[in-house]
Formats: sequence, C-alpha cells, structure tokens
Amino acid sequence: MRRRLPIAVLVLALLGGAVVVVPVLALAARVPWGRLLDTLTGEGASAALRVSLEVSAAATVLSVLLGVPLAWVLARAQFRGRSLVRAMVVLPIVLPPVVAGVGLLAALGRRGLIGGWLDRVFGVQLTFSTAGAIVAATFVSMPLVILAAEAGFRGLDPRYEQAAAVLGASPGYTLRRVVLPMAAPQLVAGAVLAWARALGEFGATITFAGNLQGRTQTLSLLVFQQLQTDPEGAIALSLLLVVVSITVLVTLRNRWITGVG
Amino acid sequence: MPLRAAIRVRRGDHVIDVDLHVGDDETIALLGRNGAGKTTVLEVLAGLLAADGGHIELDERAIHELPPEQRGVGLALQDAMLFPRMSVRENVAFPMRARGEPARDARGRATQLLRALAPAVDPDADPATLSGGERQRVSLARALAGAPRLLLLDEPLAAVDASARPALRALLRDTLAAFDGPSILVTHDPVEAMTIADRLVLLEDGHVTQTGTPAEVRNHPATRYAADLVGVNLFEGVLEPAESGAGTLRTSQGDITVAWPDGLPFAVTPGVRATLGPAEIAVHAERPEGSPRNVFHGVVQEVAAGASRARVRLDTAPPLVAEITSGSIDRMQIAAGRPVWASFKAVEVRLMVPGNESDTL
Repeated sequence: MRRRLPIAVLVLALLGGAVVVVPVLALAARVPWGRLLDTLTGEGASAALRVSLEVSAAATVLSVLLGVPLAWVLARAQFRGRSLVRAMVVLPIVLPPVVAGVGLLAALGRRGLIGGWLDRVFGVQLTFSTAGAIVAATFVSMPLVILAAEAGFRGLDPRYEQAAAVLGASPGYTLRRVVLPMAAPQLVAGAVLAWARALGEFGATITFAGNLQGRTQTLSLLVFQQLQTDPEGAIALSLLLVVVSITVLVTLRNRWITGVG
Repeated sequence: MPLRAAIRVRRGDHVIDVDLHVGDDETIALLGRNGAGKTTVLEVLAGLLAADGGHIELDERAIHELPPEQRGVGLALQDAMLFPRMSVRENVAFPMRARGEPARDARGRATQLLRALAPAVDPDADPATLSGGERQRVSLARALAGAPRLLLLDEPLAAVDASARPALRALLRDTLAAFDGPSILVTHDPVEAMTIADRLVLLEDGHVTQTGTPAEVRNHPATRYAADLVGVNLFEGVLEPAESGAGTLRTSQGDITVAWPDGLPFAVTPGVRATLGPAEIAVHAERPEGSPRNVFHGVVQEVAAGASRARVRLDTAPPLVAEITSGSIDRMQIAAGRPVWASFKAVEVRLMVPGNESDTL
C-alpha cells in the first residue's frame, strides 16, 4: 500500500515545480511566432549564433583538453595540498561570473599580470577578442569537466590499472585503452554540461571580452541587449537557447539525470 | 634458479621477510592464512608494491627496480579484472597490443589462446556476461598472452562456483605444468595447493615456516598451522582398473579403492593424485561390518584434540589422518598406541588425473 504524503509537503513541492517551470512556459507563450524566423535569421542574430557556437565549442575542447588531465592528477596523484587545489579549481562554479570577469581582467587584461607580458612579447590582446570570450567561457565551464571526470576516475577500481601495468601496458597506454574508455560516460557528461555552461555564459564574458557584434557578442549577450530595444526579439532568441538547453538535457537523460537517481 | 627473490616489507608492526627460489617449470603454492602476507609478496613480485628491501632476480636479471610493465610477469587475479568496454578477445590481445604487436597478429593469437583455454566462451562476448569460471579462464589466457617469464596467480578459484571448480582446477594444473617458467599460486585452500603445486611454501605472519613437496609437508608438518592445513589426506600413485567400475590407487605406502572417474578410459593410469577429507574417515574400535571397501587396521600415532573435534593420526598403510568428534574419542578411549580400525567410502576419494577435465575433485 502506498503511504500518503503530508499535504504541506505536496503544496511546497508544487510551488517548487512552478518556480522552475512557469518562466519557461511563459517564454513559450510570449514568442512572436509570426516574426520568429526573421528575428533568428537577422544579421545580429546570425552573427551572435556563430560567435556562440565558436566560443562554446572552443571552450568545451579546451576544458576537456586541460580539465581531464587535471582531474586525473587530482584523482590519482598523492601530494600535499591536494584538497586546496581541488577547492581552487572548482571555485568558478560558485564564483559570481562578474567577479570571474574582473579576475580575468586582472590577469589577462592589457595591464594585467600576464596580459601585459602577452601584449609586449607576442602582441596578443585577449580583451575584446573572440579568444578572450573563449578564455572567459573556459574559465567558468572547465570546473564542470574537472568535477565530472574526477568522479569518474575515482569510481574506477585501481586494480584495473594495476592489472594493465603487469600485463605490460605503459601508463599512457593504460590511460588510453583502459581508463578513458571506462570513464567515458562521465567525461561525456562533463563535456556536455561544460558546453551548456559555456553557451549560456554572460557575466564573465561581458566583463572581460565586452559585447562586440561578430567578435564577442554571443546569443546571451544579444538577448540582454535586445531586451532594452526589442523585447519580442529577445524572447525569440531566448526560445532558441531554451531549445538548445532541452536538447542537452535529452542527450544527458540516460547518462546523467537518471544516473544519479 | 629462474626466480630468486628476497622480499622485505615493513607495515607498522608487521614485517614480511620472505626468500623464494622457484625453478623453471616449477609451480609453487604460497599458502597462508588471511594477513600472512601472501598477496603482499605477490604484489612486490609484480611491481605493484615497493619493498623496503631485498631483491628479485628473474632469469639472472634483476627486476626489482623495473616498473611492472617491464618485468615480464603474467598475473591472474581472484576477481579476474577483465577490462570492461573491451570484448573477451580484445582483453586477451591486450598484453600483445600493449607491446606494440600489430592488431591482426594479436587478435589471431588471442583467438587461439581462447580456443585452448576457454572453448565455451564467445571471443566477441562482453566480459560482464561471463560466469566466474569463464572469467578466470579468460584471465588465465590474458596472463599467458604476453608470453611472461613468471606466472602469478592470486586465489584464482576463490570467486568461482563450486560446480565450475573441478574443471578449472584441472585446467590450471595442466596449464601450469605446460608453462615454460616458474609459476606461483597464492591460495589459502590446501586442496588446491596440493593438487596443483609441485612444492608448498607455507607463510605465517610474514615468514616462511615450511617448504617442501605436498607429501613432505603432509608427513612432517613443521608447525601447528601446517598440520591443520594438510590434515587432508593426500595419495599419489598409479590408478588401476578393479571390479565393478572401481579402481585401485596403488601408492608407495599402500593401496586404496576409489570410484573410477567419469570420462577416463578404463586402463592403467599413472601420476594420479587423490585427496580425502579427514572427516570422511570413520574410526572403529572393532573391525567394521558392511559395505566400506576401504578398511585399514593401524595404531594411533597422535591425537590432536580440539574443542568438539579431534584429529587422529594413524600408521595404517597408507597412513591416514581422521577427524572425529571428541565424544568418539572418549567413548572408544582413543589415545596414542591404541590399535583401531579406519574405514571410508570409495566415492569420498577425490581424484586428479592428468589431462582429464572430469576430475571428481
């Protein structure tokens, strides 16, 4: 026999659901279906879509390329201060994005710690460039890859690696043929989450890379800008981002969402 | 000696200090209770654990400072540890691929090894779908695939169903006998050790307390643990056909009657080992009547009494160790020097026949 839940719990649960669901439904209700296509194919929108896709894809690749080795070190290497390093590298998840942007400016801006040197020696300026937007997106999304990958690596029985070593596999071969395939579901989940986070990035990007059409203006930045002049256009663009997000959820449905439940 | 090892490991208050010499084609069983240091010794040999001292020489080459992948060791573990997300065949091909052999050659040899050691397993199967016994077979094939110089087996039968054990034990014995190099079997099961290994090395609290052939250890157990361990009766000799589907096992110390093993041609078969649990032997004050074909007369040599059961060593031909209740000891007034009768049923004798997979063990 199923036990009945207390009424109060049910009411709070319904309210909780509404908080999450209503804004998304409202968005769909207010979409200007008539001029949806025009808005999405307009010059500003297609440039922003291109920048968004470039920036989020590049940030995802960088996050995986740098985040997975870091996760491996955190999961397997024994060194002093490891928990401090782990806390530091996942900080961007809880850090206000605008603070992240200010931090990036302090480090990589033209007068920043490393940025000044980059400018003098290589003539490279990250601020107000697509590369800068990529750095900002990587900063906020890499921790998601690190967390997911480290959890994946930690979940592996180290005896598989030991067996591989005794069977004649070098550490690199073991990583490639044994460890990465076994951790693949978590790596994919981490990469998809990182990509979604990079796609939605706003605060750090606008602070560090600015809002230049065709270079650093992503869909998120465009939505914010449109809202002040053309709210209907902003809603149409928002719908596009909602569709992308739902696609991510569906992709991860089996690996991540039900995986923890 | 192809393998000479001196292994010292300190773990808190525990010290493991073991010297091992294993000849070519020799299989030793490293026997000991949980925590005696068996697995530690194996891990040091494989290079998975750094020793605090000592050295390891394999074929006159010092290997103790090499990483595991350069030692030329094959390893099969209790839990098989077959790699998921790889077919059975790819698992067996792994050691060859890791050394850079072309994929086609490696797969070909993997298929051959699987055909020999795990004929019932589909090479394309996912390892997760295999039974415990099948996994061990694949694991053994994988350990051999890298053409190792030294073979290490850690409790290979512990995670296998009782029903699959006899065939696997026979396969292990034949495979180790055919293996061209030293092999070490770690186990806590005396029957497994005595039927598979040429020599036993008994490990107690990190030290070797006795080493010798199964017969030597059985006849002269050096410690209490050795005596308990080898309390199982072991016979070795020539199996000859007898009347009505039975056989006679002629050993150098006397003959016993056994049930003829299924699938074995009814002919004289040398090199047969047999074991008999001490609890299967009944001890009588008078000559027993009725069906048992194995009835022996002898004098009690020694009584080792436990809380409720006691072990009685008899000088029968062959010599026997029986385990009986303390109540029987009192009732029959059994003590050293008393003449008694011992009997057991032919079907209780477990046989190991070389090359015959249908062992009754």
